[in-house]
Amino acid sequence: MQMEQTRKIEKNIITLEHVDKEFEKVKEGGVFEVVKDLNIKVRENEFLVLFGPGQCGKTTILNMIAGFEEPTAGTIRMKGEKINGPDPSRGMVFQNLAIFPWLTVMGNVEYGLRMKGVDKKTRREKAQYYIDLVGLKGFENHYPIQISGGMKQRVGIARAYCNEPDVILMDEPFGALDAQTRYLMQDEIIRIWEAEKRTVIFVTNNIEEAVYVADRIIVIRNCPTNVKAEYEINLPRPRSYIDPDFLKLRREINNVVDHTL
Amino acid sequence: MLERKAKMWQKIAAAAVSFALLILIWQLAAMNPQFSQVMPGPFAVLQKFFVSFVEPIGKNVMLQHMLITLSRWAAGFIAATILGIALGLTMGWYRGFEAFMRPLFELVRPIPTLAWIPLVILWCGIGELAKYVLVFIGAFMSIVQNAYHGAKSVDRTIVNAARMLGCNDRQMFFTIVIPASVPAISAGLQIGVASAWSSVVAAELVRSSSGVGWIVVTGQQNNNMTQILVGILVIAVIGLLLALLIRRVEDVLCRWNKRGR
Ligand SMILES: Nc1ncnc2c1ncn2[C@@H]1O[C@H](COP(=O)(O)OP(=O)(O)OP(=O)(O)O)[C@@H](O)[C@H]1O
Ligand SMILES: [Mg+2]
Repeated sequence: MQMEQTRKIEKNIITLEHVDKEFEKVKEGGVFEVVKDLNIKVRENEFLVLFGPGQCGKTTILNMIAGFEEPTAGTIRMKGEKINGPDPSRGMVFQNLAIFPWLTVMGNVEYGLRMKGVDKKTRREKAQYYIDLVGLKGFENHYPIQISGGMKQRVGIARAYCNEPDVILMDEPFGALDAQTRYLMQDEIIRIWEAEKRTVIFVTNNIEEAVYVADRIIVIRNCPTNVKAEYEINLPRPRSYIDPDFLKLRREINNVVDHTL
Repeated sequence: MLERKAKMWQKIAAAAVSFALLILIWQLAAMNPQFSQVMPGPFAVLQKFFVSFVEPIGKNVMLQHMLITLSRWAAGFIAATILGIALGLTMGWYRGFEAFMRPLFELVRPIPTLAWIPLVILWCGIGELAKYVLVFIGAFMSIVQNAYHGAKSVDRTIVNAARMLGCNDRQMFFTIVIPASVPAISAGLQIGVASAWSSVVAAELVRSSSGVGWIVVTGQQNNNMTQILVGILVIAVIGLLLALLIRRVEDVLCRWNKRGR
């Protein structure tokens, strides 16, 4: 079919063109430039990592792509259409979790489907699939307060996936985890991505993690931020942290990234 | 677990000792005839209390008086709960309605329930309706105020999370704003219970022919100190039980907010 042919060509699903973002300084007056002339093309089904130092504006960029914030200038499009507010086609895993504390694990994961009016049986089945996928089987009826930080993070991931968005935005999803759980979760997120093949935009400030999970890494600079460098990561999966090619890439990227205190 | 139980018994023992001391001192004082003229001893009061369940005070026995007062309380309190939560949440969530309603509410809120009594009697007469209205006013203000703050302080990222999962405006109010405000609403109900209870007693003190407040005033009119103390004792105990009841309700509604079980 004709569709098949076009799919083979790499398509951009999201494009950011000359995006600026300023915040008003409430106390001192004036504005604070967080993003300045940012240009990014996100390819369909890729695992894109946005890598940048702390406070450089990573969350701000994701918030604009999600539609929670509007750019001060420039345009962000998804499939050619200008992004106008949040939409279920773009799911987000929040840096500060933002899971609903009054709903159980199951209630959180099925929430999007419930809002869509999917009948209970269908949405339970689907939610269960994603709960199992992130390894939360047996915790369906626990409230967020009864589970650990890492488990909450997984709830956020399952909740985003269960809504079947075309693009998943992940904002330092493993930032709060201990090193051991973090390694486990990196493998898991790759496994889910390979099973689901959706576009992922993954934000991190950890080089190892970036090189470990990414198809492509975009390094962004300090505030006011924009693209500093770009790397295609063609290392075969599953990757190893001590592979010489891995270490070489890691060092290369380390040399280019801005360092902040 | 065992340690917690031991702690609980320690607390109960401490409370028992303080009550025993109060009764002892009161009893010792009451042995002095001059004192017992103005203040009968604890056993006289307790005896009168139990007798009043079979020997009517006025037209009713004690249980009837209690039920009369409680039903007045319940009518006003339930109405205040329903309308107060509805008004508080809509005022806290919808900006336009807030701008319209809040100034008016802020003007009315500081008026003490007692100051309403003359007006309410002129409007509603001296019958039951006036008492319901006074109880309503007593509870309404703090219920509105707390529900308002609950809706006002719903976490932004929680709201964003719901929007990216596809919930519409109506669903936002019912599935996010209401549950997120439950802890604040419960706090309002705690205060509301107490102020509704004081209001019903105040209303009965002013004008009534039955109820526990009436027991106290007629005690005063007949110079019957024992009856006054019985009335006060009953008011205290029922007030305490109502507060405990609402705390139970809160425990059930907010179980997602409490750690471990
Ligand atoms: N709503 C806002 N109003 C004003 N300034 C803001 C706002 N949001 C973010 N900023 C500022 O923009 C800058 C970038 O914030 P952002 O949260 O995007 O950084 P980040 O890269 O995600 O940081 P982190 O690594 O800590 O997650 C920060 O200096 C922050 O103070
Ligand atoms: Mg951030």
